[in-house]
Amino acid sequence: MQASWRSLFMNDLNEAVCTKCKAEFESITGNACLYCGALEDGVCRDCLYWEQTEYAGLITKGQCLYRYNAAMQTYFHQYKFLQDVILSEVFAKEVQHALAKVEAVIVPIPMNPKKLKERTFAQVDAMLESARLPYKHLLTKNEDVQGKKTKTERMASTPLFQWNGEAVPKKVILVDDLYTTGTTMRHAAKVLKAAGAEEIELFCLIRG
Amino acid sequence: MKEIEDFLTGRIWLKEFTPFPKNEIDEAIAQGLIACIPGISEKQECSRCLEKSAHLISFYCEKCEGDCLYCRHCLKMGRISSCTELITWAAPSPRPLKTRSFQWSGRLTPSQNLASQQVIESIQNNRSHLIYAVCGAGKTEVLFAPIYEALKKGDRICIAAPRTDVVLELSPRIRAVFPEAVVHTLYGGSRDEPGFAEIVIATTHQLYRFQNAFDLMVVDEADAFPYSMDPALKRAVMKAKKPEAPVVYVSATPSARLLKETPGRSEIFRRYHGQPLPVPRFDSLWNYNKQLKKKTIPKKLETWVRLRISRQEPFLLFFPTIDLIDQNIPLFKELDVGIEAVHSKDPNRKEKVMALRQGKIPGLLTSTILERGITIPKVQVAVIGAEEEIFDAAALIQISGRTGRAADFPTGDIVFFHNGITREMDRAKKTIIAYNRKTIS
Repeated sequence: MQASWRSLFMNDLNEAVCTKCKAEFESITGNACLYCGALEDGVCRDCLYWEQTEYAGLITKGQCLYRYNAAMQTYFHQYKFLQDVILSEVFAKEVQHALAKVEAVIVPIPMNPKKLKERTFAQVDAMLESARLPYKHLLTKNEDVQGKKTKTERMASTPLFQWNGEAVPKKVILVDDLYTTGTTMRHAAKVLKAAGAEEIELFCLIRG
Repeated sequence: MKEIEDFLTGRIWLKEFTPFPKNEIDEAIAQGLIACIPGISEKQECSRCLEKSAHLISFYCEKCEGDCLYCRHCLKMGRISSCTELITWAAPSPRPLKTRSFQWSGRLTPSQNLASQQVIESIQNNRSHLIYAVCGAGKTEVLFAPIYEALKKGDRICIAAPRTDVVLELSPRIRAVFPEAVVHTLYGGSRDEPGFAEIVIATTHQLYRFQNAFDLMVVDEADAFPYSMDPALKRAVMKAKKPEAPVVYVSATPSARLLKETPGRSEIFRRYHGQPLPVPRFDSLWNYNKQLKKKTIPKKLETWVRLRISRQEPFLLFFPTIDLIDQNIPLFKELDVGIEAVHSKDPNRKEKVMALRQGKIPGLLTSTILERGITIPKVQVAVIGAEEEIFDAAALIQISGRTGRAADFPTGDIVFFHNGITREMDRAKKTIIAYNRKTIS
């Protein structure tokens, strides 16, 4: 990426992809689920389910920036699984715009240490770093492969995270790359609530 | 172990992604049968695609716990980074000589035969050679005898082409002619085939995964995109062959550079059926873009298409951009609902071309993707916007070369609809006329 005077002094970020490619990503605008940003009025079906369980009331509100369309699937595959680290820059501007003025402390969803070594980089942390946003890790991930389970198995699975023992601020915003059923977020929120967080928001790049 | 040897001889492969159990690979490494190569060399170069600097990205790596480089150039084949290793078979891998047969009942024309002998001579002298032959000259047949000679010597042969379509077209023909040879066909998404391949037919991209492997290298369609534009693919060809192995280039529209740099050359300006090449005609289609935007097909073009439909002649309409194809396919479907569109990103390309060949659909709108490698008897061709930059002389000659290929139907209309005549259009037409003159003399 090229730095310009403006980008150096104004903390502005340049576009990393051309306008035509960027237009293929579908942003979520207008009516969306209060909790997760799904394209439904009020509260989506998944979140209605969560609000009837022990996880009710944990999340105050949430936002996702993009829908998981074909262009986004291609992007996500190349970034996360082909490990094209530099693609963390693609949405830097949008992520910065969405989170720069948030008062809450940004808490990324962590990776399991073994998995992290395999992947060689933490995709959520890299996305935040490209957006030049400060963050704080408060959680550790237990060994568990989420992706291979069915929806019901995932919604009912055993604890995914532990508190890492560091001081928990009152307001936090949990950040992840892809929101699918909401299990990850609910588990993370539950641990943080028990550790002292009072208000928990969520933010994801993509709503699956 | 035999399977591993067959697979890894001449190959350079990501250690983590072989089709064999990890412990067997580790054992072969311990015995010194397999050599390990760092993914990024000391010269800071990708060991698979030989890319340097620009496409190598530095990042903090959790595996290295420090700075690491990865290569973006060949990323889609599995990422190569400072902390990955490539493996190759390091022990000698002798192959016993086998008796060979050659099953082809066709006959070469005198000029094909001469070219074939010249190629054999060049190979004997380890000299690279260019087969410069017009579209429909029968270039593949010229290669049969040289390949046969190489097989008899126990040589390993590669036939590379820039495009998957060309690889898929070549593969069944080569397999039929050399039924006893182990032939592997490699392209993005191809399946692994067993055994040691004596003949590898591959896209030039796949050659990143070979090193020091071939005694004879053939590059078909040597002027085609992306090979012509991408120095990394040229490096891949040179890396995949043994250092002293000659390269045989095949092209109907060789670049000036290829003509200059290749020491041996054969020329065939006569089609195998002996008839002259159809010469393109120019026809103005002023402001066709405006008319298309208003959802009307320009009158001349409509008349041309309707004539093809009424005469039941299959046709190809070449467009300069995919956008233009997407925008206009509904208009053409109003003329005949069977008309289809193809471009490089179309997964059903093969089926649609097949449907045209079998007469199931009247015609296709296409990008330059179909400019080479396809033969459709009786096909009539129009280029829309022949003045556009993408239609350089080579592209226009290739497109013109789609017509009149079958011996039963050696003619066909080839029209360049334009919004102004360019030099490239002139050059294409003059070159085709010159080929036809050389035929006569």
